[in-house]
Amino acid sequence: MPSIETLAILSIAIPWLGALVVWLVRDHRPALQHGLSVAFALAGGVAAVAMIPQRTEANVLGVALGSAFGELTFLPDGLGVFLAVVATVVGSLAVIFSVDYMRGERQLGRYYALVLFFIGAMVGLVLSSNLLLVFVFWEITAFCSYALISFYNDDPKAVAAGIKALIMTQIGGVGLLGGALLLYVYQGTYDVPTFLAHANALPAGVLAVMAFGFLVAAAAKSAQFPFQTWLPDAMEAPTPISALIHAATMVNAGVYLLARFYPAFEGVPNWRLAVIVVGAVTALLAALMAIVSNDLKRVLAHSTVSQLGYMVYAVGSGGIFASQFHLLSHSVFKALLFLAAGAVIHAVGTRDMRQMGGLGKQMPFTRVVFIIGALALAGIPVLNGFWSKELVLEAGLMHAPIWSYVLMLIGAGLTAFYTYRMVTMVFYGEAHGHAHGDAGTAMKIALAPLALGALSTWLLAGPFAKLLSAETLPYHGIEAASTFHILEEVISLPTLIALAVVALGLLAWVFRSKLAGLGRALRGLGWAAENSFGFEAINRGIVRGVSGAAEGLRITQTGLLNWNVVGIVAGLLIVIAILALGA
Amino acid sequence: MTLSLPALAAAAVLGLLGIGVAGLLVTRNLIKVVVGIQVMTKGGMLAMVLAGYLSGRVQTGAALALTVIVADTIVSVVALAFAVQVRRRFGTLDLQALSTLRR
Amino acid sequence: MFDLLIVAATLLCALQAIRSPRLLMSALWLASASALTALLMYLLGAPEVAVIELSVGAGLVTVLFVFAINIAGEEVTDLRALVPRPLAWLAALGAMGLGAWMAIPGLRAPAGPFPEPAFAAVLWEQRGLDVLLQVVLIIGGVLGVLGLLAEGRVHARKEKQS
Repeated sequence: MPSIETLAILSIAIPWLGALVVWLVRDHRPALQHGLSVAFALAGGVAAVAMIPQRTEANVLGVALGSAFGELTFLPDGLGVFLAVVATVVGSLAVIFSVDYMRGERQLGRYYALVLFFIGAMVGLVLSSNLLLVFVFWEITAFCSYALISFYNDDPKAVAAGIKALIMTQIGGVGLLGGALLLYVYQGTYDVPTFLAHANALPAGVLAVMAFGFLVAAAAKSAQFPFQTWLPDAMEAPTPISALIHAATMVNAGVYLLARFYPAFEGVPNWRLAVIVVGAVTALLAALMAIVSNDLKRVLAHSTVSQLGYMVYAVGSGGIFASQFHLLSHSVFKALLFLAAGAVIHAVGTRDMRQMGGLGKQMPFTRVVFIIGALALAGIPVLNGFWSKELVLEAGLMHAPIWSYVLMLIGAGLTAFYTYRMVTMVFYGEAHGHAHGDAGTAMKIALAPLALGALSTWLLAGPFAKLLSAETLPYHGIEAASTFHILEEVISLPTLIALAVVALGLLAWVFRSKLAGLGRALRGLGWAAENSFGFEAINRGIVRGVSGAAEGLRITQTGLLNWNVVGIVAGLLIVIAILALGA
Repeated sequence: MTLSLPALAAAAVLGLLGIGVAGLLVTRNLIKVVVGIQVMTKGGMLAMVLAGYLSGRVQTGAALALTVIVADTIVSVVALAFAVQVRRRFGTLDLQALSTLRR
Repeated sequence: MFDLLIVAATLLCALQAIRSPRLLMSALWLASASALTALLMYLLGAPEVAVIELSVGAGLVTVLFVFAINIAGEEVTDLRALVPRPLAWLAALGAMGLGAWMAIPGLRAPAGPFPEPAFAAVLWEQRGLDVLLQVVLIIGGVLGVLGLLAEGRVHARKEKQS
């Protein structure tokens, strides 16, 4: 069994090596590209899973880079290893799915190279314990996401969506970089465990700036309020990418950041409240937007944003275990839903749900797995979504303001409503479209493990708690307990209330014709939801403002050497004046 | 201020730098730009030797000045080749006529 | 007194190099400025570098200028400056003044000469990396010039083919 250092490096290096190899195999051998990508992705998954028993709380593998950058260290503790496993395993399944989905597409080399590059960078992000290295991997994942969203780069919508995603996540990246630099200025190191141990040594103002900077970075990356507009537009990407990057891995990076640094920031005044507000508002807004959307992938995108809001809310309430458990469940069932939706879209040729319907008879396998995922999303008992969502709500009930708990409860009801709507519009009712057969073999191979996972990952609650316990995460205070013990907490009165709300949501869809009056009364809200509550208008306004400012400043770019030299000399004068007067 | 050698040399350095920059600011001919850069580099070279003189390590200062000479010569060679090509392609060496950045 | 004259002459030659309307005269004034700078460097105690500057600055670069001016041709340009002259001189004088203010504290009597090996030893042993970089620069410059000046031939070949 290789050492933990080797495994940590391998789980990053194998996907990266795969990216290079698949790129070098030219595009005229697609079968070889498909095969190599699957092989490298699976090998990366094996390396990540092998790290689980060897997790440690000490830094491994320090590469000293001089005093300016500190040491490049990796910290394969429970949290990091868990997310690395999620990234590589779901990544492998998405790659397997791509074998069927991308069959016959052009430029497969670029596609697979970027996917594998992304998987390696994601693993690097969660394993790093040098803040600057975390930032570097953060930016690499943002780049891969942009390149993959714009994969169909002759479609202007896709390109625009990619640029939008890039700009919004980069704004968040500034928050992360600022926090990292502040840490270096005040403590002389970028090392994460050192920071967590001595967080209170920083001046209160500086710690607050870092905390809110990290919150901005996490909100931008995980498409939370007020940055939630990029994720629905990112659905222009090929569906396996939507499943991998925008449901199961990259958007988790924001929640990971909040969870990892929670012990350092929990004392900052109003930080926890801000996190709770961000999570709750996002969850509700996104659920409302999902109800009025007619594009299958957009409904799932809004649903992802909403569920991420639940995870962020859990972190804000102090329930780190609940948030990570929900992250695990969500990764599984959301990837399942996206991949199944991909199979449907591939078969029907459109993303518009109004042109589907009655597909259940033509695509039986897909219908079954999709319904499993939908039940998990809605929080129906026995599936993994139920257990994790109830844990989140319990954490919120105990530690968060009661109004936020009520909002989340309403959100759970809305989730059930739009999920049931989605399932009936696609698989039941009148057939408005025609499917060219059921999902392909590779698609089925990818979908089956995810469906089994949605049915069963809740059984891993006990070992999962042990993974995140104080063995390797000394500052987070998560206790290891048995599965039964954890799940027993869920069987209680608040859970019954939540189940009642979920049932209400389901029944509301079933009896929607009788509730038409209510529907008409809420039409204003529906119109606001369709226009994304004004956030797209804000985006357009910002773009207009920046373009206008750039045009106005164009006059300073004369293109003449003489004026450029004037600029240089003026700068020099200012610098010398400052030095002379300050000396 | 005494007219000692270091003071005079410092005046020469600053004077050369200033004249060179003024030249870059007022000239419109590409080759005159190269002349301006050359004047500035003479000042820089002198500054290296002067620094060596003032700190007692003249030879180190001279070695640095040698680097400046070599770099400056290469710059002037490449810049003059560039100017010759510009003259051939666009028929003029006037900076304003060459500028295509404005609307 | 002698030093003052040399410095004054250097500055005068530089000024004339900038102001002269004809390019060839500019090049010649630049050559004399180089020669006087070499003399100053000799007076400061660095004779080897002074000789190098004399041969390269006053010799090689002047020849290059003369070649370039002959090939490119003299051109009668409109002498109206794009940046107003007063502004330019003000900026230059401002920079010089501030620079002088900052430099004055450093102009004490020179520190006692530290024992140093001869110039050649300093150059090759202590500043060896600099020499390596200079070689790289020279190679780069040669490649740049070849690239810049060879384009004419490529175009001619393309025109012959079409």
